[in-house]
Amino acid sequence: MKSWLLLPVISAILFLAACGGPPADNPLLEEAKSEYSAAEADTAIVQFAPVALKEAEESLELGFELWEEEADKVRIEHQAYLTLQKTAIARETANLNAAQNEIERAEPERQQVLLDIRHTEAQLAENRAQQALEEAQREREAAEQARREAEELARKVDELEARQTQRGLVLTLGDVLFDFDEATLRSGGVRTVAELAGFLDEYPERNVLIEGHTDNIGSEQYNLDLSEKRADAVKQELLNQGIASDRIETKGLGMAHPVASNETSAGRQQNRRVEVIISDQDGAVSER
Amino acid sequence: MNIRNFAIPLIWVVAGLTAACGSTNFPVEKLAEADIAIQQAEQVGAKDYAPLEIREARRKLDTARSAVEEEDYEKAQIYVEQALVDAELAHIKTLSGKARMAVTELRESIRILEEEINRNRLQNTN
Repeated sequence: MKSWLLLPVISAILFLAACGGPPADNPLLEEAKSEYSAAEADTAIVQFAPVALKEAEESLELGFELWEEEADKVRIEHQAYLTLQKTAIARETANLNAAQNEIERAEPERQQVLLDIRHTEAQLAENRAQQALEEAQREREAAEQARREAEELARKVDELEARQTQRGLVLTLGDVLFDFDEATLRSGGVRTVAELAGFLDEYPERNVLIEGHTDNIGSEQYNLDLSEKRADAVKQELLNQGIASDRIETKGLGMAHPVASNETSAGRQQNRRVEVIISDQDGAVSER
Repeated sequence: MNIRNFAIPLIWVVAGLTAACGSTNFPVEKLAEADIAIQQAEQVGAKDYAPLEIREARRKLDTARSAVEEEDYEKAQIYVEQALVDAELAHIKTLSGKARMAVTELRESIRILEEEINRNRLQNTN
């Protein structure tokens, strides 16, 4: 190197060193500065963590003081690190306070929802109770209806002068309702059968079995024929009254089933009869 | 007894003690302060919510202690201050993490309850 160059170069170096000039940027301190600026611009941090933010600011200022004093790099970076951590603390403090605020807001909301739920549950229970009440009412009405129907049936049966027997309701048409030794219904018999037809109209689920019976005067065959004809006469009258034939069954039983002694004329008169057995609600008639 | 016979050794003892204290030219209570801050952060659950920060704080406190033993007080000062600020960050981070979780749970419970209400309303209309 030429010696004449040496002097100005050394002079320049000395000049620069004496003047100092601004120290070079410290990257960590710059990072702390930008982190702090971001936090300062965050309204949530300003609102929820003002003290922590202030501490970060003071720490940053101290860092720049050290930098301007051209303090040891280790000390500047230490201060920058403290600033970064304090800024993070400010951020987390804001998060914590915001979350606690939200809990304070949401808790009454939850209480309200709990109230609502109790309300709807109460309504549900009320509806169920109302339904049960209505159900009970309907059942009572149905029972009442059934009772009325049973009473009605009993009344009708009374009108028919039918008897309740083991085989069910039995209506007996006596000998006097027929012409003597004939299978023709007298007007009284027609009236009785008309009442029966009215009953069968009212209770379409009930069918009838008509049984003719006689006393023991005359031959067995004759009596069977007569009993059958009398039963048929009753059936015919029911058909005349508009009762369907499939609801009517007839049997001539002759002298086989007396209800009284055939030794006396009064007993024999009782034995000469037509019995109408009224079926149960299922339409079935119990056989003899 | 002559008071001098008693006083002279006493002076030596006091001088010795003073010298002993003076030899640790470092505010030892700073180590204790950082240690307590770390313990408090751990008590609230920092190991779950801020594991890196709390680990860093412990490591720096250990480094600071070693530096004190090596009588490198400048290094000890830096590390104990960083350990303290790391512990403080771990502490607040743990609290805010827990609070945010509580918010999430609260919102979720409200959502479930509202669903329950809607179900009840449907049943009511049936």
